[in-house]
Amino acid sequence: MSATINSVSKEIYNNIITTVIQDIVSREVVEQKQIKSRHPDYKPYHYDSTGTLDILGVPKIQESSQYFHCNNCDRDVSANRFAAHLQRCLNSRSRN
Amino acid sequence: MTTDANNNLVNLKAQIQQYLVESGNYEKISNDLNKRLLAEGWMESVKKLTLDEINVNDSTKFPQILKNVEPEAINMVSDTTKNEVIEQIKFFLNEVFNTEQ
Repeated sequence: MSATINSVSKEIYNNIITTVIQDIVSREVVEQKQIKSRHPDYKPYHYDSTGTLDILGVPKIQESSQYFHCNNCDRDVSANRFAAHLQRCLNSRSRN
Repeated sequence: MTTDANNNLVNLKAQIQQYLVESGNYEKISNDLNKRLLAEGWMESVKKLTLDEINVNDSTKFPQILKNVEPEAINMVSDTTKNEVIEQIKFFLNEVFNTEQ
């Protein structure tokens, strides 16, 4: 009888584990199918093991070479100076 | 004769499973197994395995992917989890047989 209990236990365990696997695999397959049908030219995010390229495979851009347009004073301001610029720009306007 | 014995075993198995479901023990065992698998990272591993399989074969056909993933996923369950859950099932089965006799 104990042999039967052993084998039946294993079979019940197998039943549960295969159900779980089938559940995970079906979710994953359906998700990938959806992504591929909605975005035919879908590419996964770029992964760079050295940590220098971003999710598009592009290296970091120097912030100081980027400019924001300030709507307050109508001038282009260096992106990494923008917060400092706003402090003065908005203040001086309120005084005028 | 052998088919008869086989039928009996299948019947017995079905009865045991039904008993486990009705007594609520099946749910307990299943939840416990799920919790363990999640905690040991098995769930994520299986997801990753499935994704790799989809990419390698460039196919989203469920039967094909499942056929490749299932044996490996079963192997990836840690021995402690597997043995403890089987012990748990045995414990419940022993109760069933003790009450019946």
